[in-house]
Amino acid sequence: MAPQNQGTELDLTWISEVQVNQPAVLRRAEQIQTRRTMKKDWQAAWLLKAVTFIDLTTLSGDDTSSNVQRLCYKAKYPIQEDLLKALDMQDIGITTAAVCVYPARVCDAVKALKDVGCKIPVASVATGFPAGQTHLKTRLEEIRLAVEDGAKEIDVVINRSLVLTGQWEVLYDEIRQFRKACGNAHLKTILATGELGSLTNVYKASMIAMMAGSDFIKTSTGKEAVNATFPVAIVMVRAIRDFFWKTGKKIGFKPAGGIRTAKDSLAWLSLIKEELGDEWLKPELFRIGASTLLSDIERQIYHHVTGRYAAYHDLPMA
Amino acid sequence: MAAAAAAAAAAATGAGEAVTGEAATGQSMGKSSVQSIFFSLDYGPAPESPSTALAWLETQGPNLGHFVNGKWLKPDGQGTITCRDPSSGEFLANCFQAKNEDVALAVDVAKRTFEEWSQLSGATRAQHLIRLADAIHKHQKLLWTLESLASGRVVREIRDGDIPLAHQLLQYYACWAQTQEQALSGWQPIGVAVIVLPPTFSFIEMMWRVSPALAVGCTVVVLGSPTSVTSLLVAQLSEESGLPPGVLNVVMGATSLETLLPSLSGVVKISFCGTVEEGKALRKALAGSGADLSLNLGAESLMVITDTADLDSAVEGVVDAVWSDRSSGGLRLLVQMSEWERTLWRLKARMGGLRQGRSLDWGMDMGSPGTSAWEKAQSYIQEAQNQGAQVFQVGNASQKSPFFPPTLVLGLAPASPCTQREVPWPVVVISPFRTAKEALAMINGTPRGGNASVWSERITLALDLAYGVRMGTVWINSHGLKDAVAPVGGCKETGSSWHGGPDGLYEYLWPAGLLPRPVALPEAMDYNKFGLSAPPVLPSGPDTSPPSQTAPYGIFLAGRFQNPSSRSSRPILGSSGTVYAHVAEGGAKDIRTAVEAAHQAAALWVSQAPGKRVSMLWALADALSQRSQVLAEQLTEVMGVGITEAQTEVMLSIARLRAWGARVHAQGAGLHSAGHQGPFLRLREPLGVLAIICPEEWPLLAFVSLLSPALAHGNAVVMVPSGACPLPALQFCQDVASLLPPGLVNVVPGDRDHLTRCLALHQDVPALWYFGSAQGSQFVEWASAGNLKAIWVNGGQSRSWDQEPEGAGPELCLRAARTKTLWLSLGDI
Repeated sequence: MAPQNQGTELDLTWISEVQVNQPAVLRRAEQIQTRRTMKKDWQAAWLLKAVTFIDLTTLSGDDTSSNVQRLCYKAKYPIQEDLLKALDMQDIGITTAAVCVYPARVCDAVKALKDVGCKIPVASVATGFPAGQTHLKTRLEEIRLAVEDGAKEIDVVINRSLVLTGQWEVLYDEIRQFRKACGNAHLKTILATGELGSLTNVYKASMIAMMAGSDFIKTSTGKEAVNATFPVAIVMVRAIRDFFWKTGKKIGFKPAGGIRTAKDSLAWLSLIKEELGDEWLKPELFRIGASTLLSDIERQIYHHVTGRYAAYHDLPMA
Repeated sequence: MAAAAAAAAAAATGAGEAVTGEAATGQSMGKSSVQSIFFSLDYGPAPESPSTALAWLETQGPNLGHFVNGKWLKPDGQGTITCRDPSSGEFLANCFQAKNEDVALAVDVAKRTFEEWSQLSGATRAQHLIRLADAIHKHQKLLWTLESLASGRVVREIRDGDIPLAHQLLQYYACWAQTQEQALSGWQPIGVAVIVLPPTFSFIEMMWRVSPALAVGCTVVVLGSPTSVTSLLVAQLSEESGLPPGVLNVVMGATSLETLLPSLSGVVKISFCGTVEEGKALRKALAGSGADLSLNLGAESLMVITDTADLDSAVEGVVDAVWSDRSSGGLRLLVQMSEWERTLWRLKARMGGLRQGRSLDWGMDMGSPGTSAWEKAQSYIQEAQNQGAQVFQVGNASQKSPFFPPTLVLGLAPASPCTQREVPWPVVVISPFRTAKEALAMINGTPRGGNASVWSERITLALDLAYGVRMGTVWINSHGLKDAVAPVGGCKETGSSWHGGPDGLYEYLWPAGLLPRPVALPEAMDYNKFGLSAPPVLPSGPDTSPPSQTAPYGIFLAGRFQNPSSRSSRPILGSSGTVYAHVAEGGAKDIRTAVEAAHQAAALWVSQAPGKRVSMLWALADALSQRSQVLAEQLTEVMGVGITEAQTEVMLSIARLRAWGARVHAQGAGLHSAGHQGPFLRLREPLGVLAIICPEEWPLLAFVSLLSPALAHGNAVVMVPSGACPLPALQFCQDVASLLPPGLVNVVPGDRDHLTRCLALHQDVPALWYFGSAQGSQFVEWASAGNLKAIWVNGGQSRSWDQEPEGAGPELCLRAARTKTLWLSLGDI
């Protein structure tokens, strides 16, 4: 993993002069989805790459150790062996980037991964996910407990009310405390962009989260009405780039929620390549939070290899 | 791992990908296994198959013909030119090089068809247009592959931009055709229109012009170049969709319009798009031919990035403007000093990510428009470097590659000759400015008047800049948005022709009841001699006008009567042949003073509320009625008309002032919607300083009929009154002096040819109306090529100024102001 971001001093001038023109961002978002097309071998290779960026996620009220175990197995073997062989990719060791679960399921996930001999990290959501409307004290405690249980990455949600009321210093302080509570675990900060009101706020919240020491900034919980969209992503990656230009620190980006098709995942990869460059195209700096995406990718790989569209029963369930 | 190594090398140049050529050749599928792509994450080729387009070309046999009268025309034994794919150099087709007789044949066919086509009901023509739109929709893949192949523009822009726009244009103008009888009563189709296509962007440029022409009932002859083979396909599709043969004809490879002139007899309208030099030459060559020439010149864009701009989005705007095959020109980029570094940084980073290659590849940003564009760009870069500019390119322009890399030119001094030249594709010339005021001065300081974009999140500043720039189209916080409803045109050297919106329609309309002049060979004329000096005038007897009718003496300049610089006078004869009065003899220096005074007044006048114009015009009407007795007597004495007629002339003049005053508030400006692209304003702005040479006849009525719309639309004027009887105009100036700000109206009596010469050659006069001799009209047309001023000449034909359509019709309204399309930015919620 990349070195942890220790953050910087809070500098409000970095956000005070920001200008985000929403219609222009929407136009760019539209373009970016059509301007890069991957075909044939390129499509297969890019899709396999996309697999390695996935934080394979289950965040449901009915999660139990059994489906978490299944998930972990799928994370270790995301694509059928024979399909990988056909592409001469069986020796690369393709796994997803992480598995992502609720704090109460961290122990299950850690154990399951250990059992299959998989070294990928377990990520846990925390801090009153998904709304963040709990006391700071319990939110911090939640992080500590998840880390104790073996989570190597913590996906925290921010307190949206602080953004909507413009309390940037308080937001900075809260995330600073999250950072501290994480200890050696990586901090991924979920901005819940669907609830921030404007793209300008998205930019400001991104910048505050990075200054406060987030290793990743993440679009959404998957539980808001609007989740990972391209316009929001463009604003966030531009903030990442600005932060890199100012500090030399590379912060990761994680879109999550609503990314379901293989085609979508390719557009996300090309967005990163276009806006941030190849250096960001590695699991240390780019993740996709998704639960059903993987099976669609597997279907596309199946089609690429066999030339046929897979039936539902041709591919194992996750 | 060859691909990975290549990517690493590319990354070293700052690019995510080697920009030039690499992707064009593509990597063979065998070599790059999934594994190596997995590690390199390169983009691969995403080719569109050219097979549909090639199959269509195949059906045309060895040579592509012309498409005339609904059939292919393949004349025997004529030379051909080869059409090649500009990005690969591969052979596509041989096109015939049109000879005069081919063009003459097409014009003849169009002339004959016009009789029937223009007589059809608007609703019937609307149906024809819709059927053509359907045909384009059904065969769009063939269209986009062929256009991309022949023009070298990336296929995605044609599929996502041109094809939907073409469809929308046909539908929009079909709507006009449907309601033509009501909405456009008072107008008639102009006749046969010749449309000359530029070598790039031929398909959509053709659709912009053909759609309105066909809608109103004109027939069309398109003159295409070998890169515009798509125009042939459109003609064929139109025939298949049931358009009567001969309505739309396409002739390929015509050399130059000058040599074609003899074969254009019967044509009324010539619409030309191309370079400024070509346009100016054409303007001169066609002087006196009678052709209604529309020029749409140059392709340079302009962009202003202020310190309140969303810089990242503005940089995307630069990509839209020059580096995405949406425009065939370069960009002049003005950046506020405080944002200079941050903009440059972003711009360079963005350039590195651009991909250039075969036009038929879905993953490319830019194709190649061919060798002539390549050479133009290269010569510009070299000249800029010689003049001390720095050049930044990703990769190098190599003679071996057809692709010219995106280029940034910095540090070009405003005074260097290169700065004056038009910036070619795909070059961006970037210069700093200190204040918004300075930016405005820099923009309006160029001879170009096409389009500009303004980037600022502050609405006051953005609107100020947008209103202030003298351009045809201004976008706020976007660049290059297009819509069939939004007029596109310009002023200054861009030429004053329009396409799109209602303005595009009026290009092909003519006031009902007036006959347009068809093209004829111009008379030989010595332009160097016309009106070179005023013939000497000698005293020829005392004034006989009674003291009550004595007109004020002098040139009416800057609000008062001044002595003529010539210090001489000319006699005005009464109808009996005796000297009635003497008027001052105006000359070149008086014109100079008048134009200067008018410019000063125009700058102040434009910011006045329209209501002020109403009250002034009405006050003038009142003042005129006070003088009606004297004016009628003068008219009787000098023109020899009866007193009733003279009184009618005065009454009508008063009515004109009142009528135009009342129209001040209804000048057709308004807010329109362009769907998800946001709303735009269609504004009607003053031309600035308008020079008017009044006709000899109707000395008062014609003068007032021309002056009133000019003032109503906010212009300042320099007028040359009737030569035979300038007295009523001068008499009227006494009221102007007391009621209007000084300089707004200037009246210079004198030798009309000489004064016409001075005004027509004046580079700082943006518009001129001429009502006089055929020869004078020809001179004005020729001389207007100097600054491409907007002109309106009568070609020696007289006009019934007392009749409503000719003396006060919508044509005057159209001519007295120019349109500006201002795209607003909307959608922050």
